[in-house]
Amino acid sequence: MLNPLRSEEEAFRFLLYVVAVVVVVLATVLVVRAVS
Amino acid sequence: MEAGALAPGRTVVHDEHDHHGPPEANRSSRVEPSLLGMLLFIISEVMIFGAFFTAYFFIRVVNGDAWPAEGTELPKLIAGVNTAILLSSSFTLHWAETALKADNRFGFKAGMFTTFALGATFLFIQINEYVHIGFSPQDSAQGTIFYGLTGLHGAHVAVGLTLLAIVNTRAFRGHFSAKEHRGVEVPGIYWHFVDVMWIVVYSTVYIL
Repeated sequence: MLNPLRSEEEAFRFLLYVVAVVVVVLATVLVVRAVS
Repeated sequence: MEAGALAPGRTVVHDEHDHHGPPEANRSSRVEPSLLGMLLFIISEVMIFGAFFTAYFFIRVVNGDAWPAEGTELPKLIAGVNTAILLSSSFTLHWAETALKADNRFGFKAGMFTTFALGATFLFIQINEYVHIGFSPQDSAQGTIFYGLTGLHGAHVAVGLTLLAIVNTRAFRGHFSAKEHRGVEVPGIYWHFVDVMWIVVYSTVYIL
């Protein structure tokens, strides 16, 4: 399991996952706002 | 016979009595002390940011106030460029760490220096934004929360830059190696944490 506090490599990978999730959430919210 | 000298024919035997200085500290955790310290520190940091986000969501969701305050505007584009700069610094830091593990000292030093420069640029742009943004913390609740959240994060960047400056100084003095890189790894974890927090702060404060 990914543990961002175990090593720099895992922390970096966690950062990339956060960026991906945030981009998806932002895109969804912005699209829903634009449509409604 | 001189104290400590051995009689002819005797060999040196190292056992638990052959230890100098105070006894070693007891370890109650299987996690390395330096990593455990950073883990506990980051958990407390998440709680501090959580308190600030509570204030943010309170006025936006519970009170339903306008965001930002009426008559004010947040520089989304400049902050977006700044976000890219900070995100880049995590990539250069990862590059530096990877280079060090591969015994590439030039890559390590170049990566660490670039990371510091990018972090310092981020902080400079943030301060510049404060100068030109046109509202103060005392002007409105939104202003207080904006400066509180971004300022709290800026303080973390300043701490991270101090750690990076120490790593840079040690790197240029020839410290660290492919096997001994804990002193880079722990500040690296902190720097990535600061970056993750900024992604959350930027998306909630500037975009949503």
